[in-house]
Amino acid sequence: MMSTKLTCKEVRINMMGLLDNEISEEQKAALLGHIESCPSCQKMYNDFRTLKKDTQEMKFKKLPEIYWDDYWTQVYNRMERGFSWILISIGVMILLVYGGYEVTRDFFLDPQKPLLLKIGVGAFTAGIIVLFVSVLREKLMIRKIDKYRSVER
Amino acid sequence: MKTDNEAITACRAGDKEMYRVLVERYKTRAYYAALMYTHNRDDALDLSQEAFYRAYKALDSFDNSRKFYTWFYRILKNICINFVTRKRTHNQVSADDENRPELVSSGLNPEEILERSEQSELLWQAINQLKEKDREIIILKEFQEMSYREIAEVLNIPQGSVMSRLYNARQRLLKEVEYLNDEY
Repeated sequence: MMSTKLTCKEVRINMMGLLDNEISEEQKAALLGHIESCPSCQKMYNDFRTLKKDTQEMKFKKLPEIYWDDYWTQVYNRMERGFSWILISIGVMILLVYGGYEVTRDFFLDPQKPLLLKIGVGAFTAGIIVLFVSVLREKLMIRKIDKYRSVER
Repeated sequence: MKTDNEAITACRAGDKEMYRVLVERYKTRAYYAALMYTHNRDDALDLSQEAFYRAYKALDSFDNSRKFYTWFYRILKNICINFVTRKRTHNQVSADDENRPELVSSGLNPEEILERSEQSELLWQAINQLKEKDREIIILKEFQEMSYREIAEVLNIPQGSVMSRLYNARQRLLKEVEYLNDEY
């Protein structure tokens, strides 16, 4: 329920509801009553009305139909590919674990292989792993401090 | 025609094809929403499609008491903000550019976006001169045609604050239009 004595400030804020048709008939009548009797609010109301009309008349270029025809297919492809990536990731992880086990058994535990070679291969592998973890951590840190991450879904 | 909630329930049960109902229903709004951030047709198409894909992945977390599009819009907005920010960083914008409204990409090309009209172009420029907070609420109301309730949900603000936020934004837009009108 809107009070009968409205200040200009209240009227100007509630004017938005009048423009956007978001207020009750009773509220509309109270606002229009004030607007009719207050030249400064009347001017503002007319300015806002013109602005709204101009905004509504802005026409965006239509996208050629061919883009819309293909739209769903593009989304569907992403949905399917997303599932494929999960399968690929699982597969890669299994292969890496299995490969690691095989390499350890056949190479590092093989007494025939020279110690220097084992150290070389070990150092190279450890370097790659550390580098990978470091890059991964950096990426995750950047995500953490990204100020737009807090925009809720 | 299935309702949003019926389509979502079917998708959750594994019927991927039912997601098409939602995509077809909202693709135009999604595209134009993305276009307001990217100002580029191809990017807007790509980002809106990506948003549909991510929304599909997150469908289990969707609360059925809410509207699908307002929930989806937040995902889309998030993607667009990250995209524009990344683009700005990659372009290594100058110090002057940092004073520009936050989300305006460098390619302000109304001729690619709007049907030719002097008043439309002026208004487009004025909207893009606004601070992001003002620009966003104008877009949600005028171009996304959301109700106050939906705007409150998207912006996570009380419904009562929508009117005052809109009032301030429209007032600043009027000033900007007046300023641009004087300039030309």
